[in-house]
Amino acid sequence: MARLDRMPEPMRSHLAKLPCPSFKNQPWVSGQPLAHRRVSLISTAGLQRRGDRPFEGMSGDYRVIPGDTKAKDLVMTHISTNFDRTGFQRDWNVVFPLDRLRELAIEGIIESVAAYHYSFMGATDPAEMEPAARNLVRLLKGDRVDAVLLVPV
Amino acid sequence: MEGEGIPTTQISLIREHTEIIRPPRALWVPFELGRPLGAPENPVFQRRVLLTALDLLDAPEGPVLVDFPDEAPEDTAGADKNPAGWSCPVSFASEIRQVTDIERLRAALNREVADLRPWYDLSIEKYDRSAVVEFGPDAALELLATFASGKKLEIPDANFSLATALRLASQDLKAFYFEAVTAQPGPVLPGSSEFSQWFWQETAASRILRTVKERCLKEADESLRKTGALLLIPLDQS
Repeated sequence: MARLDRMPEPMRSHLAKLPCPSFKNQPWVSGQPLAHRRVSLISTAGLQRRGDRPFEGMSGDYRVIPGDTKAKDLVMTHISTNFDRTGFQRDWNVVFPLDRLRELAIEGIIESVAAYHYSFMGATDPAEMEPAARNLVRLLKGDRVDAVLLVPV
Repeated sequence: MEGEGIPTTQISLIREHTEIIRPPRALWVPFELGRPLGAPENPVFQRRVLLTALDLLDAPEGPVLVDFPDEAPEDTAGADKNPAGWSCPVSFASEIRQVTDIERLRAALNREVADLRPWYDLSIEKYDRSAVVEFGPDAALELLATFASGKKLEIPDANFSLATALRLASQDLKAFYFEAVTAQPGPVLPGSSEFSQWFWQETAASRILRTVKERCLKEADESLRKTGALLLIPLDQS
């Protein structure tokens, strides 16, 4: 239950005290209707392809997840031990809804699924992730992505 | 990303954080940490969450922070809300509760792994998938029990630091236990909190991990101390 007021201690205090960045600007870009958008997923669950380098720490780096990746080839090496992993073990879509996104593309609800998706280590200081995020913008544009869904864990 | 011209939408698990960050579009969901789409093996519900988050892309102006209206559906495969509850058909508790000697604990862990191994193998056969990343049960057992015993050990893979190897081995051992017990026959599967309670309270594996933690905390290496302090045992089981 991700409601802070219902969360048992010491997790509640731990999460309540986590520093969060605030921003002066609120950028906003609009776009095409959903049916004309190409969607990429960016997860902070520390996901990687099996055989890729595990996440070692909180250095702001990311892993690339090709759009044709199969469930059995995607694993999680997030450093935190304070969240449920059994849901992901049973069904990757509860963390990384690539099958659901593929279905939406087949039905024409979105135009297409991006060729590449990405994963970061979620416990990382956002400032550490910023250089990689700026690089991702160019990669996403190269992939013709015009909608990104950010998924925490 | 939004500032560079790419429209973004997101799922939020901790509403209080999102209220401070104020991203362009966010859907807050009241689900358990680790389950941002709400429920495993429930494509209908996952699709609703996904579509609600994607529909925010059509909002006329922002920032927007919308609450998903429903709790995660009852996890019919898990047993957290089942009055009968889940219990592991293979019980380890009685033989390990009183054991403090590390070699006897290692022997108990060996027996647990041997008991669970056939079910883990069946699970992989059934689902064609495993969350075990780097350390199969035998390798995880060897690394963790050897470190816990205080013996010098060789880092099994030069690509990892010892701290990372210990963390991955502990995660892999827990993944092995979950996959094994979910393949066992029984009326219900374990829910997330039931599995967690069982693993951390009733297995030799958790006793070994607590010993690994204690040794890590005494090490000179900072990454080992940090691993011991934060990355092996959940806060609610410390």
